[in-house]
Amino acid sequence: MKSKVKTYSIEKKQARYGFAFTIPCLLFFAFFSFYPIINAFITSMTDRRAVGKTWKFIGFENYSYLFTKSNGGFSLLNSLKATGLFTLGCFIPMVVIALVLSVLIMQLRKPGQKKFFELSYYIPAVLSSVVAATIWRIMFQPTGLVNQLSNTLMFTSGKDYKWLTDNGMLVASTIIVYFWKYIGYFTILFITGLASIPPTIYEAAIVDGSSRWHTFWKITLPLLKPTVMLVSIMAMLQCLKTFSTQYMFVIGGTARKPIDVITMNIFYTGITNGYLGRASAMSIILFFIMLFFTYFQFAVQRGGDDVEY
Amino acid sequence: MKKVFIVMLLVLAFVVPMFAQGGQEAKKAEIDKTAPVTIIFWTHEDAARQKLEDQWMKEFMEAHPNVKIEVSRKDAEGLRQGVQTAYAADPKTAPTVWNLPIESSHEYIENGLVAPVDYEVVGFKNADDMRAQYADGMIDAVYQDGNFYGIPLELTNWCIFLDKEVFRLAGLDPEKDYPKTWEDMVAVSKKIVKRDGDIITRRGFDFRYSYSLTYFVPMVEQLGGSLSEKEGCVNEEAWVKALTFMKNWGPSGENLGNSTLTAPRKLFNKHNLDIAMANTGLYQESRIATENPTFYNSGEWMVVPYPVFKDAVKDVAGCYYGHYYHVNSEATDLQQYWGWELIKYFLLTPGHAELYLTNVGLIQPLKTLMNGDVYKSMPYSEVFSYDFARAHIVYCGKGSAAIQKQIDTAINNVMLQGVDPKQAYKDLQKNVLEILND
Repeated sequence: MKSKVKTYSIEKKQARYGFAFTIPCLLFFAFFSFYPIINAFITSMTDRRAVGKTWKFIGFENYSYLFTKSNGGFSLLNSLKATGLFTLGCFIPMVVIALVLSVLIMQLRKPGQKKFFELSYYIPAVLSSVVAATIWRIMFQPTGLVNQLSNTLMFTSGKDYKWLTDNGMLVASTIIVYFWKYIGYFTILFITGLASIPPTIYEAAIVDGSSRWHTFWKITLPLLKPTVMLVSIMAMLQCLKTFSTQYMFVIGGTARKPIDVITMNIFYTGITNGYLGRASAMSIILFFIMLFFTYFQFAVQRGGDDVEY
Repeated sequence: MKKVFIVMLLVLAFVVPMFAQGGQEAKKAEIDKTAPVTIIFWTHEDAARQKLEDQWMKEFMEAHPNVKIEVSRKDAEGLRQGVQTAYAADPKTAPTVWNLPIESSHEYIENGLVAPVDYEVVGFKNADDMRAQYADGMIDAVYQDGNFYGIPLELTNWCIFLDKEVFRLAGLDPEKDYPKTWEDMVAVSKKIVKRDGDIITRRGFDFRYSYSLTYFVPMVEQLGGSLSEKEGCVNEEAWVKALTFMKNWGPSGENLGNSTLTAPRKLFNKHNLDIAMANTGLYQESRIATENPTFYNSGEWMVVPYPVFKDAVKDVAGCYYGHYYHVNSEATDLQQYWGWELIKYFLLTPGHAELYLTNVGLIQPLKTLMNGDVYKSMPYSEVFSYDFARAHIVYCGKGSAAIQKQIDTAINNVMLQGVDPKQAYKDLQKNVLEILND
């Protein structure tokens, strides 16, 4: 009998090694991401309380409750509105301004200057979110730096601009904190993307007589498409998951409703009020919202060919 | 087929542990008290108390070498969340000994998650004997079905601490002009408050906004209202009147203070003349002594009773709340035994109650302590006793934490959001009933 000798191509062999190397990562991901998601989904179908010995299956009751009841005055619909407002107010300006800043920084000729600005913008991202929110909360107080600056800029004296007490200003305050904290992080990502565009393309454009403005729109931006997609998805997901700023502000005495983003509502429902089933249902809803918008962004930005240099 | 089997096995591995309810409670057997045991002890941060308890834990472990105590201290809110999360994860691995304010710990008693006091270990004959050792009504909050479920570390009420110098700077005589009514409080604060345009730079008084069950519910009660586990916020008129008072206190009214400004008790000790009065407990005295001994010894501060409304129908002071040491009922028998031994060593060793009082400012409501010379020698202890007598324990019934958040929100809405007090009451009552009926 003739034995069959197995033969593998080099690609297949490499693929097997590649798969072997990813196994630890996959296991890690399965344990710390898939398990909590499945667990949260199952918990969302129960009436589980934080302080209690037993619980029972209630099907989709938590979901119907969240869409029909006020959840003790802090409804899911209000949280969706607050999260939407925050995300729109933060993520779009953040992506646009990070792109502008990165282009400006890339224009600098001296490496020292470049490093200085990169570092300056990035420093807030290193700071703990809780510390950042606490510092800003103090600055937003009527006697704080921001109110004083507002008075100087608006040529007023002793006016309380109500950064923490007016609903609209409160939302704006949280956006400012988040914007300040993460703008540097996304700027660095854009700089990395810009640096990977071969300089020969720009040299060719200069030879062809392209203006800077024209070069940006016709060369830089199209070649930066993968980075723009990465940054916009990351920024959007970050904004949808925002928590510490709002939480620290509420702990500091501001109103909760205008800034009651979904993550904070999950926290208060699950940890403060102890409704673990209901909080899990909210987290599953947030998961699907994030999944939908991520897919949506992929779909929108998929048009055109892949970028190759 | 093989793949399907593996997938099913994986899904089962995920799902099955989540429904594990644990076996039947094993019958308490005779325990070997000399066996090695670890007590997990969680408590809130307090530098002065930590110093005492660290020393006592060291002594305890030296006396009982088989016992190891693992202590973890967190801020008040962190501890509440930590204990809750630990129990939610697995009651068996939750801390052995812990304390929380009674409005938070009550639901653990209701759900059987803390053990009844082991009278034999702590040295009481029975529940009646234990009750007899404490001031009337002060440990009732942990009594259920014939047993006590915790031993009080402290019972605290808040009076009004007053900075005499700020009063004099505003042309007031602190001894005569201190506020007796809430209307006085507004009048006095209007004289003391300093502003740069709309911006407050000096306040007369301000509330402890996130503790509405402790400071605000008594104000409602003074006006004839109440908070009931069955009916929610009883007496609309009283609640609306109290909410209107808060609205007038805030930026849209007299602009005397609000919840976003720095907490008065944090400013008071510094004596920077930017706050005249703070609502706080006897423990503040030891904090002033530690943080600002010059101010403590200057005679420039005093304590006055909790005000009432001029047209009050009931003389009620701010509620008192308690921190009780509890033992986890899901811990092993050996851990429970040593848990009670540790609590006994902390709280019931002769002389320790006095040290808690003098070094930390904590009042254990033991009759021997409250009638003793040490308590009476504490500055203004008679004011705290006076207010204790006209107060009751904070609401610690169903949904207390969630209800407190609702009342905080109602106050916030009228003060900062411009919500009409009547509407704020309607929303509050609706939400409180939803919590109670859930």
